[in-house]
Amino acid sequence: MAHIQWDEQLNTGIQVIDSQHRRIVEYINSLYDASLTHNRTDVEQVLQNLVDYTLSHFAFEESLMEEAGYPFINGHKRVHELFVKRINNFQQRFKIGDDITDELLAALKSWLINHIKSDDNDYTDTVLTNMNYVNTQQNSGWLSRSLKHFFS
Amino acid sequence: MSHIEWSDKFTTGINVIDGQHKRIIHYINQLTDAQKLNEPARVGEVLDDLTDYTLSHFAFEESLMDEARYDAAEIHKQTHNAFRDKISNYQQRYGNGELVEKELFELLNMWLLDHIAEDDNSYVPFVKKNFPSINLDEKQGWIKQKIKEFFK
Repeated sequence: MAHIQWDEQLNTGIQVIDSQHRRIVEYINSLYDASLTHNRTDVEQVLQNLVDYTLSHFAFEESLMEEAGYPFINGHKRVHELFVKRINNFQQRFKIGDDITDELLAALKSWLINHIKSDDNDYTDTVLTNMNYVNTQQNSGWLSRSLKHFFS
Repeated sequence: MSHIEWSDKFTTGINVIDGQHKRIIHYINQLTDAQKLNEPARVGEVLDDLTDYTLSHFAFEESLMDEARYDAAEIHKQTHNAFRDKISNYQQRYGNGELVEKELFELLNMWLLDHIAEDDNSYVPFVKKNFPSINLDEKQGWIKQKIKEFFK
């Protein structure tokens, strides 16, 4: 696979979420670069960073949905959990020496694009409506507090 | 085989679920194209994407049924599990070098479409009843309008 190029269709319209998604794409691209070097330490490091960042992003996203009262938050969380399990499985296989990078990269690319275009797109209206409301109430400190909390 | 068009028989009226089902059908159509063009690599790719997305969709749907206290949730889950078993069986056989694309395509094409058109409709009334915020579009439209009116 080549690098993933950011495509306008991946924008949800929630800036803070879009910039996190872009960051995840950058991590996936770095993982691809690391895989070309065939250096296991590099791959392991990038993979760990990608996992850490993605977990923070999920937690942040779930808190946005919760704050906004998005009704399908539990379903969305389940989808996140399933993905985390899959990635853990890849990490385990990597640790015992399997060459998983091509398979992992394909899975990451496909999952992320599907998830953003379909599942994330569904909560956007609810979250944006809530964010606008919160902003008009001059209570936007919540967002920066949440960001600090999940990405400190 | 021609493309599957979205139609009333697939519509549940739950936007988030309809969106996910549309994506599944989109993949089935891509699979048909790849097979027509006789591109085995592309067939493999789409099959991966489709199975991955379907499993993720099941997790979402099951969480929705649980929350809605759908009384036949267990039966529905068993149907999903049977599908999961079949998929992992195909994946194993594929890993052993067997050509399973044709069978897998038939399974996805027949089973999934029937499942969407028939089984899924049975949980819809429960979800609509137990998720009071299900008619989101109207309510959100109203909220947005009010926010614009009062807070511009």
